[in-house]
Amino acid sequence: MKLSYRLLIIIVIQTLVLAGMVAKRQWTLATGTPVVLETRPVDPRSLFRGDYVTFNYDISRLNLQALDGDDDFSRHDVVYVVLEPGTPYWRPRAVYHAPPAGQVTLRGTVQYAGEHWWNPETGDNEAVRHVTVRYGIEDYFVPEGEGRVLERPVADETISLRVAVDRFGNGAIQALLINGVERYRETLF
Amino acid sequence: MSFKKQLEQHLPHWVERGWVSADNAANMLQDAAGGVHHGPRYLTLAFSLLGVILIGAGIITFFAANWAAMPKLLKLAVLFSALWGSYALAGVFERRDLPLLSGAMLLLGVILFGSNIMLIAQIYHISAHYPDGVMVWALGGVLVAWLMHSQPAMVAALGLGVLWTGLESQGFGRTVHWPFLLFLALSVPAVMLHRWRIALHVALSGLLVWSWFTFMAMSSWVSGSGAAVYLVQVYFLAYLALFIGGMLLHGRDGWQILAHTVQRYAAFAALGCLYLLTFPDLLRADRDGAEFWWPATMATLLLVVAMASWHYRSHGADIRPRFLNWGLGLLGAVIVLLLANLAAERQSAGVLALLFNVVYFLGLLWLLQAAVHLENRVLVNMAFFYFAVTLLARYFDTFWSLMDRSLFFMGGGLLLLGGGYWLERQRRRLTRQIAVQGEGSA
Repeated sequence: MKLSYRLLIIIVIQTLVLAGMVAKRQWTLATGTPVVLETRPVDPRSLFRGDYVTFNYDISRLNLQALDGDDDFSRHDVVYVVLEPGTPYWRPRAVYHAPPAGQVTLRGTVQYAGEHWWNPETGDNEAVRHVTVRYGIEDYFVPEGEGRVLERPVADETISLRVAVDRFGNGAIQALLINGVERYRETLF
Repeated sequence: MSFKKQLEQHLPHWVERGWVSADNAANMLQDAAGGVHHGPRYLTLAFSLLGVILIGAGIITFFAANWAAMPKLLKLAVLFSALWGSYALAGVFERRDLPLLSGAMLLLGVILFGSNIMLIAQIYHISAHYPDGVMVWALGGVLVAWLMHSQPAMVAALGLGVLWTGLESQGFGRTVHWPFLLFLALSVPAVMLHRWRIALHVALSGLLVWSWFTFMAMSSWVSGSGAAVYLVQVYFLAYLALFIGGMLLHGRDGWQILAHTVQRYAAFAALGCLYLLTFPDLLRADRDGAEFWWPATMATLLLVVAMASWHYRSHGADIRPRFLNWGLGLLGAVIVLLLANLAAERQSAGVLALLFNVVYFLGLLWLLQAAVHLENRVLVNMAFFYFAVTLLARYFDTFWSLMDRSLFFMGGGLLLLGGGYWLERQRRRLTRQIAVQGEGSA
């Protein structure tokens, strides 16, 4: 095969892989149902990739006994969390192994499954079957230096995220809201 | 005085005496003169690779520092044009017959492909299972290596593959990361086809690392507490099959160097496994889940028998060295012993360990003979290393509880001094023999 053809194959395949990453995310942003999720920024970091904030969502830790659906999950299982609208945040209603039809469902992976959890309100260790789930929307990159600002919101300042959820359960962050007002909004270019 | 100058001085004299023809003398001088260029060639390669790594690191850190000031479209334009530019330059250098610079640009392309994956994930806030990104990066490297016949790209891809399996096995607690074997199956044919030695070292090191991760995962997660004993047996058989594969390769013209590399890694792992089986404590451990290990043991055992038969048939009776014949007997004994260990209860651990010790020491003797026949000096050194280590281990096992401490240490010292002297003399004798053989066959 000619040198130019071989190089062209490499360029085309690698470009398609990279463009595919962009296209998949953009498709979710463009077609997904917007849901607002309650969150707390927990861990701003600055590595090779600049500043980013890691968010801990209210739906990151699910009490299986309080939700409909399945309750036999173990580590690395894929879960589908059905969300329903609330005021102002969307809440989990059910958890399944397989995606249910016709509902707004966020897809995630079980990081931890346990039988006891610590209740921050009572300070007690309670017998509750629960899972910790990662949805792939936990990291948000911000301009350099702003990660620390988001990590320590001032008093009465609440941070939430508007996430687009497509029909396959993929989530993509659409906007970061402070006190319900957009601070950062995602665009294609 | 340089080698070339020595040749220039002596060759006319040798031609005059009729030892070397005039044509051959000219060829030898030309070859020696070519050798002079090896230094600068390697220097070019070293500088090119170092330059590529620095450029790659510079691009990543530049973006990390200036990202916020750039609109998304510009970011993507920079990322894609850097990727395309490096491959285009590789093509330009290749056409101008500058293969080292072309190889360096290909490597830069592989590095940029990975940094682009990370940076696009950053631009679009993609925080999926990140070992997948490393896997895609590694596959991008394999693609470049296959299509452009680039060893540096393959070395980078294999290194990334090892990182990928490490992240999956250790970082994310997957029990056994089987897809890594698929990745090796995609990469190794190119390594063998182009006879890339460095890439073969990386691939075999990766296989050893994966074996270790798998051992850790299986010992703690899968198939009960017997996994430690039985998996060591399966590993022994699998690496023995690989060693025989290396012996088969040795018989083919032009494959000796790769065959030596395969033999070294396979022998190192197989001996390590057999060494572990010489310890009664390991054999005395809980033996739950033997039924899980019968199919895996039988499958690897059949593989060993098939490879050994293939090797045996490829050496006719007239050219078959004696060590191969008694090696087959030893192989039979090992197989019986492994099967007996699979069926045995833990109460038989003492007898089994004794038999494993006998087989192990006979195996070392066989390896020494094989090493001389295969002209593989590293195997000789390896056999002596394992011999010395095992001798010390047995000394500690046996005499620690029987002897007075001062006598124990003095005895150990004498064993080290005397045994070390004897072993070193034998090792030198055998490596010299291989060197003489090599010169003779050359």
